[in-house]
Amino acid sequence: MRNFFNALWKVFIRTFAFVRKEVFLVIRQPRLLLTLVLGPFLILLIFGLGYRNEPPILRTLFVAQPGTQLEEQIQAYAPTLGAQLAFMGVTGDQNAAVQRLRQGDVDLVAVAPEDAAAAIQAGQQAEFQLYHAEIDPLQASYMSYVGEIYIDEVNRRVLQAMTIQGQAQAEDLQQNLQAARESTQFVKQSLRAGNESAARQHFSELSNNLDEVSMAVGASLAVMNNVEETVGGGTDRQANKIMSLLDNMQALSSEMENTQMTDSNGSQWEAQVEEIDADLGELEAQLETFTGLAPELIVKPFTTRAQSIAEVQPNATSFYAPAVIALLLQHLAVTIAALSIVHERNFGTLELFRVSPLSAGEMLVGKYLSYFLFGAVIAAVLSALMHFVLGVPMLGHWVNYALVIAVLLFTSLGIGFVISLVSHSDSQAVQYTMIALLVSVFFSGFLMSLNMLVEPVRSLSWGIPTTYGIVLLRSIALRGGYPDLLLVGVLAMIGLVLCLLVWWISRRLIANTNR
Amino acid sequence: MIDEEIVEEKENIIQTYDISKQFNGTTAVEAVSLYVPQGTIFGFIGPSGSGKTTTIRMLTGYYQPTSGEVRVLGSSPEKFSRSERERIGYLPQSFGLYPNLTVWENLNFAASIYGLPIARHERLKEILEFVELDQERGKLANQLSGGMQRRLNLAATLVHDPELIFLDEPTAGVDPVLRRKFWDHFQALKQQGRTLFVTTQYVAEAAYCDLVGVIDRGRLVIVNTPSMLRYRAYGGDLVDLHTVDPLGYDSLQAINALPFVLSAVQQPDQHHVRLVVKEAKTDMPAMLDWVRERGLQIEAMEEYLPPFDDVFVELVKKEAEDA
Repeated sequence: MRNFFNALWKVFIRTFAFVRKEVFLVIRQPRLLLTLVLGPFLILLIFGLGYRNEPPILRTLFVAQPGTQLEEQIQAYAPTLGAQLAFMGVTGDQNAAVQRLRQGDVDLVAVAPEDAAAAIQAGQQAEFQLYHAEIDPLQASYMSYVGEIYIDEVNRRVLQAMTIQGQAQAEDLQQNLQAARESTQFVKQSLRAGNESAARQHFSELSNNLDEVSMAVGASLAVMNNVEETVGGGTDRQANKIMSLLDNMQALSSEMENTQMTDSNGSQWEAQVEEIDADLGELEAQLETFTGLAPELIVKPFTTRAQSIAEVQPNATSFYAPAVIALLLQHLAVTIAALSIVHERNFGTLELFRVSPLSAGEMLVGKYLSYFLFGAVIAAVLSALMHFVLGVPMLGHWVNYALVIAVLLFTSLGIGFVISLVSHSDSQAVQYTMIALLVSVFFSGFLMSLNMLVEPVRSLSWGIPTTYGIVLLRSIALRGGYPDLLLVGVLAMIGLVLCLLVWWISRRLIANTNR
Repeated sequence: MIDEEIVEEKENIIQTYDISKQFNGTTAVEAVSLYVPQGTIFGFIGPSGSGKTTTIRMLTGYYQPTSGEVRVLGSSPEKFSRSERERIGYLPQSFGLYPNLTVWENLNFAASIYGLPIARHERLKEILEFVELDQERGKLANQLSGGMQRRLNLAATLVHDPELIFLDEPTAGVDPVLRRKFWDHFQALKQQGRTLFVTTQYVAEAAYCDLVGVIDRGRLVIVNTPSMLRYRAYGGDLVDLHTVDPLGYDSLQAINALPFVLSAVQQPDQHHVRLVVKEAKTDMPAMLDWVRERGLQIEAMEEYLPPFDDVFVELVKKEAEDA
């Protein structure tokens, strides 16, 4: 029993020899410590100060035939198209415009179609040609997107102009309506006086007035009807009502024209004329509402206002802070572990270990513990700086946060040790760690959302500890949620598999003499 | 090929039987059989690339022999238990220290690896005094001179007080004064009952050993005591005879005809003859008698101990001739 405890005590001594040694080696490099803590903090601070959370403004030069109506319209409308368009003027020389684009004087050249009317009449869309000099695919996509937005705006303005015209025509109807209503009054008076011929004459005038109203209203209502139909106004649409009133009036009028006025049906006629008069009144009110609507509202009936149900709306610094911590800790753990066994090899100590009573397990536990401790201290200091100095929120529990950091460090150390065991030199280990960093930057969701990756590449992302770190730390810090135990479990499982692999290779390296 | 004429009978702490090591079909060490008695210094001498490090690695369990058998401390090194490993000290040829740790921290780490109790302060102090580094304990290893680093290596090898010590070229790159000091340390360790297996390129260091093994191109040429190595190299003891007058042809013939003289070679100045005799101790008085009888006047007669570099060359030459 005493021998057992003695042997156990020696295991403890050997294991902690590595913890103490690694701690001493790290604290001998104060600049490294300072860089690891202050570096990311300063990067985030500067990023937060310098980040502009709005799309870039595009200096846009238009090309249109001088003296044309299109040129006039561009001069009039282009400066008001949107905040992201800085209007740089209109020129008739396309080559000169493209040259200015090449020189970087402008960001975008929009070439107007030479004869838009002819193209439309020929049943084709008139095309604005956009030129840019971007090589960044994201910026190039943004240019195309902005082009679409602006052309939608131009199209909307065309519709708006048509609507204004329709409303102006509807206003002209007021006279026709007045004349029609006067005719109804005359019909009614003639009916009450028993003067059938006068009544018929006025009724004929009323019919003519109704035809004119119907024709005049038709064009204006077409725009309104389409708009209402698109936005889903149902059967209670205003345009429908107007059309129905007109149909009703014309039906009444037609019925009355084909009916002989007798003593018995005189009151019926009068009632029908009353109904027409009432319809005309309602039509007048409806048209007044139509002409009173703002044209912008008719052509652009919908707008959006996004509202987050998240507890906080983090700024860019807060959003990126958990990702930076996850990426940095992974990189730190991978690098420090990757160089670890390579250094032992270079210093010649590995040869000593092979001959000594040291086991692979003791060495690994010692190294895991020391680097874990080191990573945890860095994580604690960095997280405190982010939270208390940069104001990054912490809506969840620090315990959950620490749990994720712990699992992230454990798994990342495993990757580092695997690299260290397959590398034969410092430079080789550094190359591998840089590849691991690049993979993490591109595929972990650090730069772009994982949704932008297609399968099976997206599945590959879940082999990177940073991916888990970003998702889990953001969820805890910015949403106040509990860590997804499935994700934590999978990350820990990857770490465990790596740990067993590292132990297996190390055993071959240290304990096995079968070489 | 183990020479039988080892002076003392002791228990062998190391024994090998025809061990060979091949790397990718290339033979690094071939059929080496040797033994090392307990409490001796065994010098393993050979030029660079002759197979010294490969052999020492097979003895420590770092390499497994391709063929043959190794017994160290009564066990096969590849199956050493932890307690057996604790009985061994190994100084590899490469650096084996952490440059950013102090002398004390490096030594403390080495002590921990061998499971020394935490109350080890006195032992560390003692071993640093032994290698004369006690004044440098706070210095980083990378601030030490090459010689000091090698002494720190030695201290780290000895810190757990091993009974069998393997030293792979401990004096390589060390100045002659310090080299001498190293050998003084080794002698002191031997006096304490330790067994040392030391490889070296410096053939002259064979003189400090109890037994010397000479290796060349992976083959063990000979194992013997230093004096017997000389004897084996030249076929007997060497005696230099310096005469006042030049020796004539007749005198030289007469010397060669003496029964205890194995050969005599006149040196270019003709006043000096180098004799190979069976045993200098007994044959020198007989030679003196013969000189007097002939009426020759001599300036001096002394046993000549050739430098081990020459001995090594002779042995390797002989080995080549025998082969």
